[in-house]
Amino acid sequence: MELSKSTVEYSAPQAEEMESIFQNSIYAVVVTDEMGKILLWNPKAVKVFNYGPKEVVGKLFFTLLTNEARLEYYSLMKEYEGSDFADLSGNYVESIGLKKDQTEINISLGISPTVFKGNKYFIYYINDITNRKQIATALDKQKEFYENILNKLPTDIAVFDANHKYLFVNPGAISVEEYRKFIVGKDDYEYAAYRNRPVSTADERREQFLQVKNTGKEIRWEDSLPDPNGNIITHLRRMFPVHDENGDLSMVIGFGIDITERKLMEVKQAGLVEQLSAQNVQLIDFCNIVSHNLRAPLVNISMLVELIEKSTTHEKQAQYISKLKPVIENLHTTFNELVESIQIKHDLEIKSEKINFKHCFERTLEGLASEVIKSEATFIPDFETEFINFPPKYLFSIFHNLLSNALKYQSPSRKLNVKISTKKYADKILLSVEDNGLGVDLEKHRSSFFKIGKVFHRHANAKGFGLYMTKTQVEAMNGKIWVESTPDVGSTFFIEFANQQ
Amino acid sequence: MSMEKHIFLVDDDETFVFLTKEVISFANIKTKITEFSDGQLAINYFKENYDKPEKLPDVILLDLHMHIMDGWDFLHEYATLEKVFSKKVKLYVVSSSISPHDIERSKNYKVIEDFIIKPLEQLKFEEIIEGLTQNA
Repeated sequence: MELSKSTVEYSAPQAEEMESIFQNSIYAVVVTDEMGKILLWNPKAVKVFNYGPKEVVGKLFFTLLTNEARLEYYSLMKEYEGSDFADLSGNYVESIGLKKDQTEINISLGISPTVFKGNKYFIYYINDITNRKQIATALDKQKEFYENILNKLPTDIAVFDANHKYLFVNPGAISVEEYRKFIVGKDDYEYAAYRNRPVSTADERREQFLQVKNTGKEIRWEDSLPDPNGNIITHLRRMFPVHDENGDLSMVIGFGIDITERKLMEVKQAGLVEQLSAQNVQLIDFCNIVSHNLRAPLVNISMLVELIEKSTTHEKQAQYISKLKPVIENLHTTFNELVESIQIKHDLEIKSEKINFKHCFERTLEGLASEVIKSEATFIPDFETEFINFPPKYLFSIFHNLLSNALKYQSPSRKLNVKISTKKYADKILLSVEDNGLGVDLEKHRSSFFKIGKVFHRHANAKGFGLYMTKTQVEAMNGKIWVESTPDVGSTFFIEFANQQ
Repeated sequence: MSMEKHIFLVDDDETFVFLTKEVISFANIKTKITEFSDGQLAINYFKENYDKPEKLPDVILLDLHMHIMDGWDFLHEYATLEKVFSKKVKLYVVSSSISPHDIERSKNYKVIEDFIIKPLEQLKFEEIIEGLTQNA
């Protein structure tokens, strides 16, 4: 221990303290001369490298390093060559040490060049970091594992600090790595500027963030945005706060799941449910129609036949027989009408054609000529939209029903005026037929207006089948029909035709 | 059965009204029959005559499927009117409908004594009249 001896000579009390520090240091300390030859080391160093206390004295320092570490050590030591050590600070590296039994250990290595009494020395501070290294490796692996999960999850994840700066985003949220790197430490406003995007999205995100921050509660919402291909993608998004043990907001996590498919299914299902319930209503209607409209004349026929059999006079018999004909005719008509309406519902093959409204209107009026002349009615056509794509058979039937209804239910106190107009909006055409006739109290009749067998006026030819047919034909082509009416003022029928690109 | 029974037929099926009157005539019961071709006409009548027992019927035979005002709308208004009647009136639904939906729906109306599916048999009619005298 030449060095410590010199120290002792220099200042006895200090040297004693220095000796104690050297001996008890939790770091392994190795002192070499300028050439790297070991002069002395402390008990901790003996323990770390597992040599005998004097065994390494006189050996070169690199004996304590693996071959690989030695190369690094040489290059490190190069900068000290020929130097007077005056202006040089120390170096700190992580390296691999070699125990006496040749087992490797991870070490941190501090190299401190020192001049003492004109002699140059190196003091090495060594710490065994094998454990720390192992923990760090395990931590790295764990980090990699979790990052892998976060990055591979098919959801987008963003983590914010308490001031709404990004701490983390996964590739699900931002796929381009460059953007992902940019955003960490920034907020949405900086990102919007960076990507040349509107500030409105950033405003929205800030509002949501503040809501979570201020209420301390999770929020959920759905948003639908077009993807680069123009397809609408719907996300279910959640943002929730994470608090530390003091209850302070430490971060906010946002994540979103692509629910486009589920959304599409929902829309599809809603459509199916609507269609089903509409069909169910139609079915109940139909069941009622069959059980009444068809059965009523049958009951009458069977009662008449029974009475004919029982009757004792020819007069009575003749009377009963005369009643049979109108009942059978009624049955026949009802039957045909029902068959017709079933055909509409199942006529999926029916072809639409381009039809001129004016042409259809004129042909309908020709068919109603005698009624038109008799009533001195005025018809005012205004076909802003001239053509429609629709099954001709249905369109003629619709025109006939609406115009003949107007004629049938005109007011006795004024001449009939009927305005027929068409208008196009988006992919729909609206046909309206407005009359100044009797009108109907819709308060009473709205629910049954288009039902089969419903009649609202005591008119000889009222059978209540026309509007039912019209509605069936319109709806079979995905259109809509509705009515506005005021008693004794008039009615306006509206038909909206769909799919008119 | 000395008292003449007053029957209201609320039905717009002319043939059926004729036939029902024939059936009633075969029964050995003194009756007076008044016809209404739709519910609205009958309601109008009751609104005018609810407080005149001599003008009110003993039995109403009501059809469900009628034009203008059908049996359901009639029942809706009748249920309120009946409460202030100055006489006990028995109402029977006589419908050609065999739809369970109609029969189920009729159960919502307490004013209905019974749901009779057309045709109205002579025997059934006699039962109805017997029920009147027993209760009286």
